[in-house]
Amino acid sequence: MASVRFEHVTKRFGEVTAVRDFSLAIDDREFLVLVGPSGCGKSTTLRMLAGLEEVSEGEIHIGDRRVTELPPRHRDIAMVFQSYALYPHMTVHGNLAFSLKNRGVPPDEIRRRVHEAAEILDIAGLLSRRPRHLSGGERQRVALGRAIVREPQAFLMDEPLSNLDAQLRVSTRAELVKLHRRLETTFVYVTHDQVEAMTMGTRVAVLRNGVLEQVADAQTLYDRPANLFVASFIGSPQMNLIPADVRVEGGSIHVEAEGMGLVLDANGRRFDEPPASAILGIRPEHIDLAGEEPPPGRTVVRAEVSYVEPMGGEALMGFIVGEKELVAKVREPRGVRAGEHVSVAIETRRVYLYDRETERLALAPA
Amino acid sequence: MRATAGARAFRYGVIGSWSIIVVFPLFWLVTGAFKQQHDIFPNATYIPWVEFEPTLRAFRTVFTEYRSQTINAFTNSLVSAITSAAAATVLGALAAYALTRFRFRVGPFKNDDIAFFFISQRMLPPVVIVFPFLLMYRTIGLLDSVWGLALAYTLFNLPLAVWILRDAFRAVATDIEESALVDGCTRFGAFLKVSLPLAAPGLVTSFVVCLIFAWNEFLFALILTFRKAQTIPILIAGQANQLGQYWWIMAAIALLSLIPMVACGIAVQRWLIRGLSAGGVRG
Repeated sequence: MASVRFEHVTKRFGEVTAVRDFSLAIDDREFLVLVGPSGCGKSTTLRMLAGLEEVSEGEIHIGDRRVTELPPRHRDIAMVFQSYALYPHMTVHGNLAFSLKNRGVPPDEIRRRVHEAAEILDIAGLLSRRPRHLSGGERQRVALGRAIVREPQAFLMDEPLSNLDAQLRVSTRAELVKLHRRLETTFVYVTHDQVEAMTMGTRVAVLRNGVLEQVADAQTLYDRPANLFVASFIGSPQMNLIPADVRVEGGSIHVEAEGMGLVLDANGRRFDEPPASAILGIRPEHIDLAGEEPPPGRTVVRAEVSYVEPMGGEALMGFIVGEKELVAKVREPRGVRAGEHVSVAIETRRVYLYDRETERLALAPA
Repeated sequence: MRATAGARAFRYGVIGSWSIIVVFPLFWLVTGAFKQQHDIFPNATYIPWVEFEPTLRAFRTVFTEYRSQTINAFTNSLVSAITSAAAATVLGALAAYALTRFRFRVGPFKNDDIAFFFISQRMLPPVVIVFPFLLMYRTIGLLDSVWGLALAYTLFNLPLAVWILRDAFRAVATDIEESALVDGCTRFGAFLKVSLPLAAPGLVTSFVVCLIFAWNEFLFALILTFRKAQTIPILIAGQANQLGQYWWIMAAIALLSLIPMVACGIAVQRWLIRGLSAGGVRG
């Protein structure tokens, strides 16, 4: 149970900078998720925290201790690896007890803690087995168990669910969240999967090319992505991004994009300097088929349907507007088929504007 | 798919002839050990109980007249082979682990080059290095010493051990070691408690290969020992001398010298086979 602090941490591998000037304060008992595409430096960041990778510049603190130069064994953290990294030559009991033995915990205490962890994870029946005789899900639990028995200051997890099949992944996700609540310990969790990040983390840190792009709770990341990268990375299907021209006229903002003319109400929105050129962002959820009489606050455009992907009640649809294909999550598909020309309603007040130069958010939805 | 009769005949023909090439020397050795002089000279005999009457005479000679030489040679061979195989495996494990886990840079040379230097030691014909050895050993007084021989074998076997163990450690996932580091081990602790046990099949393979090499080594033993530190191959070769060639005695000693190696092979076979599937715990 401790907070974790990265201060201007940089990691270089030879010429390559894997993590650049990374600063982040993780609160005690927080479930922080590091997310980003592969190669973004999220695993390297976690490994630096674990002490498995040396820090090139900057400092790392766990609780009130500066751990930058400490070897992993002195950091009082537990880690779950993507491959689980169980000790193949030991039984499950041996795997769980290993770290306690290394610390000289008395045998009675070891037995008690191993059985306690095994109970929590429902692997008490497997204690005498060896890893090679376990299923993927069971191995994953043993890897978690090995971390739990430690009662560490923080749990580090490097894509622990990526080797599970889809169904198991969803249920384990929920269990991990429960486990976090039960253990009341700081979790630092690495994943490339934005759905995992959004559903599990109390806060999510988005990385790209070794740079921290944005840290916020899931809702804020979704509602106010600070830049184009986060906007396109968070949310599925991803946000539609269209080059646009912007004019400010009196109290309203005129946006021209692919022949669509959107007039945004500037009321209550800060918009100091209109960007010379902008990117218009529209989430698929905010595009729908236009009814006979679309409710107010919507801009209606004509479009050709390029595809329909039914998803039970809703459907994903592609709408061709100008040269661009917009992806939409349509709540009532009404039997629309590919090739048809339809009227499409865009929720005008939910759109984003990004500066094309700086890629930063210029205008957030009302 | 069924092979035609002709193809099958060819296949068995090839296997059969190869088997004869492999088995005949062994047959010759085993039968030879139970022969006496007139079974071999002037005309060779082959089939026991038909062409010659098997006898234990050669073994009797080995255990009576040759007794002290035999015991001496076996002791020397065992000591030099086991010591050097163990030493080469231990040193080789340390070197191989370092070569697979840490990045070295000596001038323009990197890990793979260093590994290649190890194996390049075996590229010189041994006869080239045996005379420098003779001179060095004479200077430091290691001639005709079983420990001197063990040292030479260790040096000579080390490249093999490094090469075999490099593969063994490469097969051990680094995650597992890192997990041990996080679980409270020092680097060396992780090596001892996790990497070594997981590389066990490689260690056994390395030990056995080095053992066999040292056990049968002839040239170094010939040049670096005279009497006290003589090994089995020298004792065997000594049976062909100016007085004649005692094939039956050679065969008897050679047969005896096979026994420890075969026993060792059977004992570790389980491990050698396991080595093939050791990497089996996938994520």
